[in-house]
Amino acid sequence: MLAYVVKRLGLSVVIVSVAMALLFCMIYLVPGDPASVALGPRASEAMKEALRVRMGLDQPVWVQFWNFYSSAWRGDFGVEVLSERPVIDVVLEQLPYTLALIAGGITWSVGLGIPLGCWAAVKRGSLADRLVGVLSVAVIAIPSFVVAIYALLIFSVSLRWLPAIGAGEPGDLGDQLVHLILPSLAVGLGWVGYIARMVRASMLEVLETSHIRTARAFGLPEPMITYRYALTIAILPTVTLLGVGVGQMLSSAVFAEIVFARPGIGRLVYDAILTRNFPVVSGAVLVTTIFFVLVNLIADLVIGALDPRVRSSF
Amino acid sequence: MTVLSISDLNVRFATEAGAFHALKDVAFDVPERTIVGIVGESGSGKSTLINAILGLLADNGRVDSGSILFEGQELTALDPVAMRALRGPRISCVFQDPMGALNPVLSVGRQMRNIQYRDESPNAQKDARSAEMLEAVRIPNPGTALARYPHEFSGGMKQRIAIAMALMMRPGLLIADEPTTALDATLEVVTLELLKDLQEQIGCSVLFISHHLGVIAELCDEVAVMYAGEVVERGATSEVFRDPRHDYTARLLECDPANQRRRTRRLPTMNDEPGSFVPQPVPPAPDRAVGEKPLLEVRDAQVTFRVGTLFRRESIVGVGGVSFDLYPGETIGLVGESGSGKTTLARAAARLQAISGGSISFEGKSVHELSAGAMHLLRRDVSMMFQDPVGSLSPRMTVGDLVAEPFRIHRVGDVDVKAETMRLLSLVGLGPDFADRFPHQLSGGQARRVGVARAIALNPKLIIADEPTAGLDVSIQGEVLNLLNDLRERLGLAMIFITHNLHVVRHVADRIAVMYRGRFVEIGETDEIFAAPEHDYTKTLLSANLAGPGRQP
Amino acid sequence: MSEAASDPRTPNDGLRSQVRKVLREPLGVFGLALVALVVLGAVFAGVLSQYDPAGLNPRDRFLPPSTDHLLGTDQLGRDLFSRVLHGGRIALYVALVSTGISLAIGIVLGLIAGYGPRWLDNLMILLFDAIKSFPTVMLALALVTLTGPSLTAVMVVVILVNVPGYARIIRTQTIALKSSEFVTAAQSMGASTTRILRLHILPNVIGPLVILASMDIPVVIAIEAGMSFLGLGVRPPTPSWGSILNDGFANIRETPWIAVAGGLPIIITTLGFTFLGETLRDVFDPRLKGR
Repeated sequence: MLAYVVKRLGLSVVIVSVAMALLFCMIYLVPGDPASVALGPRASEAMKEALRVRMGLDQPVWVQFWNFYSSAWRGDFGVEVLSERPVIDVVLEQLPYTLALIAGGITWSVGLGIPLGCWAAVKRGSLADRLVGVLSVAVIAIPSFVVAIYALLIFSVSLRWLPAIGAGEPGDLGDQLVHLILPSLAVGLGWVGYIARMVRASMLEVLETSHIRTARAFGLPEPMITYRYALTIAILPTVTLLGVGVGQMLSSAVFAEIVFARPGIGRLVYDAILTRNFPVVSGAVLVTTIFFVLVNLIADLVIGALDPRVRSSF
Repeated sequence: MTVLSISDLNVRFATEAGAFHALKDVAFDVPERTIVGIVGESGSGKSTLINAILGLLADNGRVDSGSILFEGQELTALDPVAMRALRGPRISCVFQDPMGALNPVLSVGRQMRNIQYRDESPNAQKDARSAEMLEAVRIPNPGTALARYPHEFSGGMKQRIAIAMALMMRPGLLIADEPTTALDATLEVVTLELLKDLQEQIGCSVLFISHHLGVIAELCDEVAVMYAGEVVERGATSEVFRDPRHDYTARLLECDPANQRRRTRRLPTMNDEPGSFVPQPVPPAPDRAVGEKPLLEVRDAQVTFRVGTLFRRESIVGVGGVSFDLYPGETIGLVGESGSGKTTLARAAARLQAISGGSISFEGKSVHELSAGAMHLLRRDVSMMFQDPVGSLSPRMTVGDLVAEPFRIHRVGDVDVKAETMRLLSLVGLGPDFADRFPHQLSGGQARRVGVARAIALNPKLIIADEPTAGLDVSIQGEVLNLLNDLRERLGLAMIFITHNLHVVRHVADRIAVMYRGRFVEIGETDEIFAAPEHDYTKTLLSANLAGPGRQP
Repeated sequence: MSEAASDPRTPNDGLRSQVRKVLREPLGVFGLALVALVVLGAVFAGVLSQYDPAGLNPRDRFLPPSTDHLLGTDQLGRDLFSRVLHGGRIALYVALVSTGISLAIGIVLGLIAGYGPRWLDNLMILLFDAIKSFPTVMLALALVTLTGPSLTAVMVVVILVNVPGYARIIRTQTIALKSSEFVTAAQSMGASTTRILRLHILPNVIGPLVILASMDIPVVIAIEAGMSFLGLGVRPPTPSWGSILNDGFANIRETPWIAVAGGLPIIITTLGFTFLGETLRDVFDPRLKGR
């Protein structure tokens, strides 16, 4: 198990490194550089040149790469163009809001997805099964920002059931949770569908296997077969799926934060684009990427802990 | 007293193509403390029968009429709850697939405890009983085995654990569905002996399903022969096998290569009238002319695999140094169990697998040192046949394209490819209408014939046939072997014939090499090996390839 | 062998009978109808609405839906129905072009990774994993910050995030097929690598991928609309569903119909393509179910 953890950890470090290198390549290769972005289209060539020197963009490419790379690993993503605060502080300040949003999304998706998928599999072929199937596909299809805006329109503007903007009073947990309901629904709704579908499919697959047939032949009670023999295996892929899901939820969070005027990383990046604050954008990209890789690492370790076959194959 | 009595059982499945009559008026009895065998080829309705008894028929299937009387209870009239109460304590089951029979994420002990869920006794007592059962099926260290997970056991042990679980509640009837088919021959013997011991100890009856006539003859007191959903014959095993009354049984028995006590160039098939078959004695191998060059020379060939990850690398020996010569027109049989290195050796001979030592030469040229161009030429002379008849045909190509492929690869321009394809198809006994079919539309035997046509297309000098009869029903096996024998003689081919079945290879090979853990433990003339096996492993293998039913006294 | 014969993936089942199967599924027909609605609307946008999608008309600002303006007008007095129809052109253009390019690149890279040497495979997998580890929208935002808003930037991002997935699918299947007996059989006959890839591997891996890619079309449409919603996709006054939604969002309390007009076509299109794609997949390749 230890070797497995070490190996997965090493792989994650490598992936983050490569991702950093890719980000650098993109910045370097794409037309337009951070200095001219920061100054805007009306800046003179001399002003741009001065900023380039200040940002180290005049140095040879490999020096630039090394500077970018080594400082990124130290957690130094540069300073904000306007306030000159370290980017890492600005980003980490906003991270908890986004994490809360994603945790909310996961709660929705797991809380609804697993029971629905299991139910559909047990009632295979019934009207309920087909209904769950169609609804899952539908919620997967509709983009999260459309869900966000329609939810805002229906529950906040028309019905006035739930608050429309902000993250709630600081310190008031109940108020914060109420403010979290709609945005996290927008983030998690599609994943209710993904998880329900996946649990249904893998449940059906497991129920077909010969060890389930054997368990039936031994006369084990049906609930024990469904929940202790089949579901425990069928939900394993959910963990991996959620690992991927967190990445997409990070994307959806950008929209949810803008639509519901919540603080968070998405909001931060959006504002940074409008104020041409490129270091904040790249810093936020790196932080979210590292977070995403970390989540996948944890997902793999959880799988390893839950599945004896994976556990001993390393 | 009769434990299980089935009479006039009819089962139908509702399918898209209409109702499918899977079991027709099936009737037989299982007396107390006896082992009753059900024998039949694929599609004969064996599995449906088991599911009907266990009340586990698929949703679209139902019992139309007839009765299944078990210990005085009518099973067809039982509701699911009462049926479940019987499953486990009274009727239990062991299935074919030992790899999948146990739940992979629960420990063995946990699963055995779950089976005793009806019991109120404390867990410690249940575990003690589980350990007792594991000991009975000869699992080493039963106490610690309980804490382990299924994947930590070998296939044979898993199947024994499954047997332990099935007999845990001391049922009156054990249904064993091809329980040893997936196991190697030596393991098969051990498992069958164990099953018989336990059956006597517990005093239960066993309904034993198999397609293997030898196993049935060895194990069962009574037998019922199934064909196309019907029981065509039943009676005491020795009587049925000695004096079959039904035509199908007679043909089936005669088809089994194990039943031909003398080597024969042509094997009987289902088309032969029972009793009319006359063996064609194998001509003695011609003496090699002095100085005749072997076609294939294998000298100390070795193959090692490097496996593992960046952190843990190890080498596994696939072939550990073997040598033999193969002369033009000669057939050598490579015999061994799974993992013995037969297939690896064959792949190395065709340079589909790199060798790590030794040499392999074909007509004096070192195969593994040839340039790409020379190797390409050599591939015309050496062709291969693979284990899975359907799987070795590209799924989206028609039979016509598949047979024509060798010509296209080697750009043989001077033949009319289409005419040649048709000629080859008819040579292997397939009509021209097969040219437009896709592999999945073929039966195993037909797909195997296509494989043969491809293999002989370019008039090779050597055919390497890897388990060409595996997975085929006994009745088809004979036809394929006859075809191969016939072509081999007509075309003067040399052949490497790989198999785990000694009875098959006996009628084909001039010489036999027995492989064990990557080495030849014995090599010699076929008759000599059968008459006087020298090596212990060969002896085990010979006794493990259970004698054919006809050998019963 | 009876298993093989009942394999539902029958290549010669005839396209016609499979199309018939799709038409027998209510969900498939529904999806097909929605897709047809969107495609026809986009193609005949000029015929169906006489209003210029970019034409300003200050006197008709914020008109609610009526017979004159089926979906109402926006803050600049532009007819929303006309903008929705023309927005469909942008959405379909981005979806088809970038999916097509992603497919082509993904197939080539996947075959190389799957059939090529181990080290190249490992390297490519590492790159794919690294690209996949960027949250899509974050990557898009970073790129657009550098280049400025444009449709091309959006398409580059779509291709960048789609290719690794497609390549991985092709790679996995290629590796599985590489050791299958029919490929070994072709090798034993001396077939060249290109012949094996072209005749024995590609035909067996491409079908499922095309179906999966068709199911990604809604995702691509969502990315385009999303970027335009943030004002980082198409430039005004070009109509896009996302930018209409953004106009609606800015005035959501006063004139909610603008947001509805922007959201509806997105929902219709994504649902249509998804329902159709799901049905196609179930009919053509049931083994992919649940992916």
